[in-house]
Amino acid sequence: MNGVGFSPAAMSSLIPFSSSSSSSSWISQKKLVRPKALTRAFTSDPYVLELAETLEESIPSTPSTPLPLHNLRNVASQSLLSTAWPSRRDEPFRFTDLTFIRQSRILPLSHPSAVKILTSHLPPAVYVGPLSALSSSPLLHKVSQFLPHTFPDADLFWSINGIAAPDLTLVYVPENCHLQDPIHFHYTPPQPPTPHPSDTMYLSNPRVLVVLEKGARAHITEDFSSAPGNDNDRYWSNAAFEAVIGEGAKLSHSYIQTQSLRAAHIKWTSVRQESSSAYELTEVSAGGKLGRHNLRIQQLGPDTVTELSSLHLSVGDQTQDLHSTLVLDHPRGYSRQLHKYAQQTDAGQLTRSLLLEPRATVNVKPNLQIVADDVKCSHGAAISDLEESQLLYFQARGIDQNTARRVLIFAFGGEVIDKFPSSSIRDRVRSHIKNLLDPSSN
Amino acid sequence: MALSLPTHSSRSLLPLPPSTKPTFPTLRRLNHRVSLVTASTPLLQVNDLRAKIVESNVQILHGVNLTVNQGEVHAIMGKNGSGKSTFAKVLVGHPDYEVTGGSVVFKGENLLEMEPEERSLSGLFMSFQSPVEIPGVSNDEFLVMAYNARRKKLGLPELGPLECFSYLMEKLQLVNMKPDFLNRNVNEGFSGGERKRNEILQLAVLGADLAILDEIDSGLDVDALRDVAGAVNRILTPQNSLMMITHYRRILDLLNPTHVHVMDKGKIARTGDISMVETIEAEGYETVSAST
Repeated sequence: MNGVGFSPAAMSSLIPFSSSSSSSSWISQKKLVRPKALTRAFTSDPYVLELAETLEESIPSTPSTPLPLHNLRNVASQSLLSTAWPSRRDEPFRFTDLTFIRQSRILPLSHPSAVKILTSHLPPAVYVGPLSALSSSPLLHKVSQFLPHTFPDADLFWSINGIAAPDLTLVYVPENCHLQDPIHFHYTPPQPPTPHPSDTMYLSNPRVLVVLEKGARAHITEDFSSAPGNDNDRYWSNAAFEAVIGEGAKLSHSYIQTQSLRAAHIKWTSVRQESSSAYELTEVSAGGKLGRHNLRIQQLGPDTVTELSSLHLSVGDQTQDLHSTLVLDHPRGYSRQLHKYAQQTDAGQLTRSLLLEPRATVNVKPNLQIVADDVKCSHGAAISDLEESQLLYFQARGIDQNTARRVLIFAFGGEVIDKFPSSSIRDRVRSHIKNLLDPSSN
Repeated sequence: MALSLPTHSSRSLLPLPPSTKPTFPTLRRLNHRVSLVTASTPLLQVNDLRAKIVESNVQILHGVNLTVNQGEVHAIMGKNGSGKSTFAKVLVGHPDYEVTGGSVVFKGENLLEMEPEERSLSGLFMSFQSPVEIPGVSNDEFLVMAYNARRKKLGLPELGPLECFSYLMEKLQLVNMKPDFLNRNVNEGFSGGERKRNEILQLAVLGADLAILDEIDSGLDVDALRDVAGAVNRILTPQNSLMMITHYRRILDLLNPTHVHVMDKGKIARTGDISMVETIEAEGYETVSAST
């Protein structure tokens, strides 16, 4: 196991912006206001600027900051100046209610050890660790060409992570190197000190960059779980994961999100695929009061293979939002998507409604940009005919509705869960979902 | 009365005769007469049952009256849209229909107040005309779950999948299906015939005081029909009752109904015996319904 050791958490507070009192204070922030951005700054959102300011202050900027990280922060703060806090009127956030973050007092944690790396031994040419600890300057130079990466649909949260990521965890796999064992990233949720005010939300901004050279192979697991006994902590994970998959290389990516039911989990996954490369994502998101996954796949050459499988599970007042963009603008891009949503809500005391979106399998044709699955689970408030007839089928054989629902949701998610390459993860996810659906079962 | 839960030792089941014409009904008939005499209250008593489709508000049942006693075999015939299937679905509590009047008493209890699963557990079984696919749930998992729900209702300990295995295998033979039938997902990718056999397998596993077979014969070839009818005859003891909805005479010849009803415009228009089937075949439903 490689630990990442850094200075203790630096915290600074951000008081939610109130329109009259602090509207002019940001102007004095030299860090933020750069000449080029000044004109755009007039259209910017004072709340966002205040947040950006707090974030910048939380990050120790030292001469030892690696250049790519420095550049990333610059670009991110530039774009923040012209970005407003998203509202439901913005199309990409139509189904994502961010008010509970907006109304909280945000305290950034610049705690780099939020990412714990668990791997068995790695070949010497492979690097897995913090960018700041990187001594090889050729590698640093190589990484610089991938950072910072901007794209048209990058949003506020991408930029917030860009400013506030205290470091960057780098995975570098050289040409034709096949990693046998998966690399496991365990993201420790921000641990609020006790006691703390109930309106406070601790923010962490972990960031990962994966570079697979030509013909390389790796399997990476991102594991966002809640700390045992901290299932009800309020925090905000604002994570970013970038991968550049070289020609003929293959990345298998498992992403499990089972964070606290009072947390906000916002995540970017941005993948660039060179020709003949393969990317497989298996996602189960069942945690957070709000879970939002922005997934962007950009083809850099022909003959790419992209397989996305996700299961989003919402219990009670949870929202799970997958916002995915595949840009397939080279010949022979093959992609297969399987996105599943299950929602179990208590709609009044008498009726429990279940929403199972029918399987959505999208076959993407080459030379087509597909913006798919701007979906919140509340699509369609009623149980569809198929699902109702399935429930009745169970009942008609003497099985009560609640059991039938659980079995159906479980069966429904099974197809995605089965895709996790690791059996221990499959088991863990199954039992987590079982407990979510039936808390009395354990 | 306890519902008839088949157990391992209750009956030894002979494999089906491969292609001989079934001759089993004789014993049924004899026992049936006995049971008729001893039965004090009807198994099912339907009075003036009225029901509509919830979504469209269209009234389908306009006052159905029917009495089924223990051991009786009823056939309900009638042209498409006469309300036969609706009647069956209303009896099992299908949520697409709303009862707007009348009463249904099953084994002395108000059936209409029961949830669909309670109706099943109290001994009412309906085979679905088009059974739904349940991806991700295997046939054996489903059968074990349903069987255990029944055992639980009877106060018996629930069984694990392995403990159920020999019991399920025995029932599988009854419907003439291969063991891999159990590993497949419920009805997923099943042919029409396989779906019908699967319904009968469920009946065999769960048992029933009253089995309603909704067009169990449609889409079956001659051999499959004989398998299904043979299995039904073996599953049902003289104490069980059967109500089958059908368009065809073939299954009636195999299951020998004691009562034949013709439904028309949401009511039972005429009741007779098997001889009425000949009139229907010769003159059509219109004539038979009109001649009440």
